[in-house]
Amino acid sequence: MKTVNMVTRSVGILIGLAMALHAEPYTLGQGVQVNEMVNVGGYFSTEFLAKKGQDTVSVEDVAVMAYGDINPMLSYMAELESVGFYSKNISTGVETGNQTFHVERFYGDLWLADAYNIRFGKQITPIGYWNKEPINVLRDTTSNPLYTTLLFPRFLTGIDINGYIPGVEGAHYHLFGQKNHDLDDEYINIPNTHFFGLSVEKELSSEWSSGGSVGEYTTLLSNQRTRFMQVNAKYDDALWQVMGEALMAKSEYAVSEQASAFSGYIQGMYRYAAEHAFVTRAEYFNDHHTHYKDTIGIVGYSYRPLYPVSLKGEYQWHSLNAENRFLFSFSVLF
Amino acid sequence: MKPLFLLIWLISGSAASEYSVIMSKKVSISTLTSQQVRDVYLQKRHTIGDQTIIPVNLVGQNELRSAFESAVLGMDRNRLNAYWIKQHFQGSTPPLTQPSVESIRLFVQNVEGAMGYIPSSMVDNSVKVVYEF
Repeated sequence: MKTVNMVTRSVGILIGLAMALHAEPYTLGQGVQVNEMVNVGGYFSTEFLAKKGQDTVSVEDVAVMAYGDINPMLSYMAELESVGFYSKNISTGVETGNQTFHVERFYGDLWLADAYNIRFGKQITPIGYWNKEPINVLRDTTSNPLYTTLLFPRFLTGIDINGYIPGVEGAHYHLFGQKNHDLDDEYINIPNTHFFGLSVEKELSSEWSSGGSVGEYTTLLSNQRTRFMQVNAKYDDALWQVMGEALMAKSEYAVSEQASAFSGYIQGMYRYAAEHAFVTRAEYFNDHHTHYKDTIGIVGYSYRPLYPVSLKGEYQWHSLNAENRFLFSFSVLF
Repeated sequence: MKPLFLLIWLISGSAASEYSVIMSKKVSISTLTSQQVRDVYLQKRHTIGDQTIIPVNLVGQNELRSAFESAVLGMDRNRLNAYWIKQHFQGSTPPLTQPSVESIRLFVQNVEGAMGYIPSSMVDNSVKVVYEF
């Protein structure tokens, strides 16, 4: 906790300093560049959820971030976020909220060579596509696929060695590891004590890419060890984007029980104008340990009057019918 | 024989690249692939081998810059704008800019690791060509 407070204070000072020094013209969505060493920005999102017996409006995320290059070989990123900032259940009138800011990211990058760079600190786990751009405003649907939230730790507090794979054009690797608690155990989907993995990505052309990962983690609370294997592929041109990810996990529990889980999604998007897009997604989730199994179909619409301003609506059909819902969100990156 | 020379000249002339990606003569890099140049300008890579690279763009809307973005980066301005907004979240900013091709050539000539693009007709022996488009 002491570390978190220290980091929080440091980031606050950094952002305050950046604001005080700011003199550059501002472009929405690209932050404020004070100088090479200090860029600041942030984002927020609001959501409306309509579900059987539960209509909710919320300010879901509020975040500030600072980043920059200390020199050509060393850069940093710091981000503080409050999730579930404010929420009101329209049906019952109950209001809840948590305005505590947590450290979402706090890391440095050492740029050493083509094949060998190091990211150290709390960072987003470098797996697949969705997990690397997790915030509402950058997504094309308000919801996240279950695959990205339930089966592997979204963050890593450790080291990621990454770079181009020598001799393979457009191929990139991440070899990452953590053998400690998360920088903030209250602010991670799966608190864990160790997490190792390897992921590779290949750009097949300017439109096509694919990749995959393997990894292992041990949960903090139940000492459950999980090994997983993941694959992803994407096609992206000016009009169409189609992407899919899938993950298979096998867990060993304290009572010598073993169970597997499988999840995946495929999402298609048609941009019929620069500001407008139709989105559809099919998801499958099956965890044999928790007996949670669901198939989800989603149709949605995305409107971006400017790219960093996003208004999105979607309807979800679940095989677990009680989970059917409508979601609308408004989010801004600044 | 004359028509043959004329034919060769016409073919070579029509195939000549209009623009060149240039670097300082001090660096040991001799040629780059289009993927390498693309990755440098999209700030996906900061080094080539162990050489730190500093890409330089022409400022604003410019015919040469649009040609570069279309031919090498494979993106129009809308997609590039979306890309840099996503990169803002990742902690990455677009390359530095220079106001003219003359200033790009001077910058590249004087800063080791700098990379820029200029019309091939402007290339002289103060810089080296690492890619053409």
